[in-house]
Amino acid sequence: MNEIMAIWAEWIRPSAGLPTVQWSILLAIAAACGHLLQRYTGLPKVVGYSAVGALAGLAGFSGTAWPLQGISLFLLELGISVVLFEAGGRIPLRWFRYNPMVLMQSLAESALAFAAAYWVLRWFEVPAAVAEPLALVAMVASPAVLTRVVMDTHASGPVTERAIVLSTLSTLYALTLGSAKAGLMDRPLHQLSDTVYPVAVVLGISVVVGAVLALALRSALRVMSPTSENTSMLLLALIAAGTALAAHFGGSAPLAALLGGMLLKQLNPRPWTWPRQLGTAASILIMLMFVLVSTVAAQADWSKSVAGLVATLVLARALAKIVGVALANPGSGASWRQALWTGCAMAPMSSIALLLVSQFVLASPSLGRMIARIALPTILLMEVLGAVVATYALYRAGESSKPLEPLGSATGDRRES
Amino acid sequence: MSLEPFHHSAALSLGVELELQLVNTNDYDLAPYAEDMLRLMAKTPLPGSVVPEMTSSMIEISTGVCHSSSEVLGQLSQIRDALVKSADKLNIAVVGGGTHPFQMWHERRIYDKPRFRELSELYGYLSKQFTIFGQHVHVGCPDADTALLMLHRMSRYIPHFIALSASSPYVQGQDTAFDSARLNSVFAFPLSGRAPFALTWDEFSAYFDKMTRTGVVKSMKDFYWDIRPKPEYGTIEIRVFDTPLTVERAAALAGYVQSLAAWFLREQPFMPAEDDYLVYTYNRFQACRFGLEAVYVDPATGEHMALRDHILATLQRLEPHAEAVNAGAALHLLRASAEQGSNDARWLREQQSQERLLAEVIRRAALKFRDR
Repeated sequence: MNEIMAIWAEWIRPSAGLPTVQWSILLAIAAACGHLLQRYTGLPKVVGYSAVGALAGLAGFSGTAWPLQGISLFLLELGISVVLFEAGGRIPLRWFRYNPMVLMQSLAESALAFAAAYWVLRWFEVPAAVAEPLALVAMVASPAVLTRVVMDTHASGPVTERAIVLSTLSTLYALTLGSAKAGLMDRPLHQLSDTVYPVAVVLGISVVVGAVLALALRSALRVMSPTSENTSMLLLALIAAGTALAAHFGGSAPLAALLGGMLLKQLNPRPWTWPRQLGTAASILIMLMFVLVSTVAAQADWSKSVAGLVATLVLARALAKIVGVALANPGSGASWRQALWTGCAMAPMSSIALLLVSQFVLASPSLGRMIARIALPTILLMEVLGAVVATYALYRAGESSKPLEPLGSATGDRRES
Repeated sequence: MSLEPFHHSAALSLGVELELQLVNTNDYDLAPYAEDMLRLMAKTPLPGSVVPEMTSSMIEISTGVCHSSSEVLGQLSQIRDALVKSADKLNIAVVGGGTHPFQMWHERRIYDKPRFRELSELYGYLSKQFTIFGQHVHVGCPDADTALLMLHRMSRYIPHFIALSASSPYVQGQDTAFDSARLNSVFAFPLSGRAPFALTWDEFSAYFDKMTRTGVVKSMKDFYWDIRPKPEYGTIEIRVFDTPLTVERAAALAGYVQSLAAWFLREQPFMPAEDDYLVYTYNRFQACRFGLEAVYVDPATGEHMALRDHILATLQRLEPHAEAVNAGAALHLLRASAEQGSNDARWLREQQSQERLLAEVIRRAALKFRDR
C-alpha cells in the first residue's frame, strides 16, 4: 500500500494535496459500497461505510494520524456535534417529569455497562488505571449509528425513540466523565476537589458554549423559517464555530452541541425539521465520520488474547445494557419485549468512543496505548456489528417500515431507496 | 347472513366515537403507538372504550350510552385526560382533526388485527389512505321503522354536520381548498355515500338480503354510508363528521344531532322523499369544499341559500327541543361558530398562515386538544 502511495505521489501533484485525493476516492468507494450493500443485503448503508474504512485501515491506509489531531479531529468532532445536536433536540426534559423511569433506565444501563466492562477487564487482569477509562468508553451507545440505521430502515416507534434517547443520554454521561477523566490522567489525586474540578470545568464550558449556540439559534428562528435551507446552513456554521470554540476553551465540543440541542428544544418547542433539510452536506460529513472511525480503529494491533478480551467485553456490555433497560422497565410504559429490543438497539459504538479514546491517548501516551489496544478493536467490531444488531432489533420490534431483505425483492424497485 | 334484528335503545340516547391521531413530539408526524396507548389506557378505569383503528397511528375512543351532550362531554373529557396522561408518558401527543396535514399514506402500517389485514388485502392502498379521522354519533331510536325515518330526515342536515365539524383542509402537505378533504377519501370505497331509500325495516331487510346474495356484503360493517342504521345498538350512526380539534366541539355536535332527533320525534316536521337525494351529493360537495361558506339547496323547495344561514335558522328552530334534552350550551357553541363563520378548518388555516409550518400547526392542535 505504501509503495503504491509513493508512486502515486511522484506521478501526480494535485492542487489540494494527495491526502485530499486519497480521502475523496475512499469516500466515493464507501458511498458506492454503502448503497450496494443495502441494495443486495438489506443491511444499513453505514455497515458499508465502516467496512470500506476498515478494509482501508487494515490494508495500511494511513490517511490520518493517531491519536486524532488537526483537521481529522475537527471533522470527527464536527460530524459528532451535528448528530448530537439533533439527538439532543429529540430529548424533551418534560418527558422525564412525566416518566422518570426512562431516566432510571438510562442511569441503570449506563452504570451497569460501566460496572460490567470494568469487572470483565479486571478479570482479564487489565490494570485499574486502564480498565476505568475503558469502562467509560463502554458506556457509550452511538446515536450516530442508530440514527443512520433508523433512517435507512425507515423505523419509527417506541423502541426506536427510546433507544435514541437512551443512547444520547449515555453519550452525555460518558462525554462528561470521559473528558474529565482525560484531564485527570497521569495526575496524582489528593482530595475530592481534584476529581470534581475537571468535571465541573468540562461541563461548565460545554454548557456555556451550548447555551450560546442555543440562544443564537433561537434568535435566528425568530426571523428565519426552520424549513429554509439558509437556516440549515446557519445551523451547520454555528455548530462548526461552537465545535472549534468549545475544544479551545477546554470543554467538550460534542457535549456542547448535545447540551445546545437539548436547551434549544426547551427554549423553542416548535417542531424540528432540520434533519430533512440538512441534506447531502451533513450526510457526507457523517459518512466521513464512519469511514474515519473504522480506518483508525482498524489500525489496532490484533492478537488472540485481545480478541478474546474484546469478545467478552462486547458481550458483557450488551448484556449490561439489556439488563439495565429491563431493570427500570416496570412503570416506564414499555413492554418487556420492547425493553429487550431497546437494549439490543443500543449495541453500536462508534465515533464518540473513538474520540474519547483519542483524548485518553493524548492525555497519557503510556496508558493511552494500552487503552487503545483494547478499545480500537472493540469500536471497530461494534461499529459494524452494532449496526447490524440495531437493524435486526428494530426489525424484530416491528418498527422498521422496510422488510429485512435486499431492496427491490419486496418492492420490485431496484433503484435508489 | 340475514340482517340482525333492531335492538331496543332509549330514544334520544347518545353514543360518540372519536378517531384520534397519535403524533411524535419531534417532528409531529404520525407515530405508530396505538398498541402502547392501548396497553397504558387499559390500566385506567374509564367509561366507554379505547380500541385500535386501521393503521397503527390511530386510536378510537368511544363513550358509553349517554343521555345528554353534557354527559358526552363529561365522559369524553375523562377519557381525554387519561389519553393525555398516557401520551405524556410515551412522549407523544394526541390530536384531533380529520386528516394529519402532512403524513405520507405509504408510510403507514396496518394495525395487526385480522379484520384490518382482510380489509388491507381487499382495498390495497385505500386502506392506508384511510388514515383519516372521523367522529361517529349514535342516536337511540325507539324502533326500527322510526330509525329509518330518522335516518332519511337526518340526511337533509348532512351538509350542516360536515361544515360545522370540518377540520381536514390539508392532505399530504398541501392545502386541498376543501374544508373537509377527509370525505373524499371515504368516497373511494365502493359502498360509501347514501343509504338506500327504505322507510321500513322490512324494505331495508329485503335490500340487505339482496346485497348479501350478491356476495358483495356480509354484514352492516361493509357499508360505509354517511348514515347507517346500527341494529345491534338500536341506533342510527352519523359518520360524516371530521374529528373536531376539541372534545367540547365533539360533544356539541352530538348535542346538535340529539336536538334534531328530538325535533323529528316530537313534531314529525316533514316526510323524507327519494327526491331529497337529487341535491344530496351537490350539497355534500358544497359543504366539504366551502364549509360554512357553502351554498345549500333546499331539497324540498330547490331554493338556494347560504348554508350558514340555514344552519342558524335550524339552530333557532331547535332551541326548545335543545332545552328539553339539555343541549342548550352545545347549540350555543355551534351558533357562535356559525355566526363567526369559523370552524376547525379555518382555525388550522389561520395557524398555518401565521406559522408557515404544518408541524407547528399540529403541535398547537395537540395543545388545543389537551385543553390548553
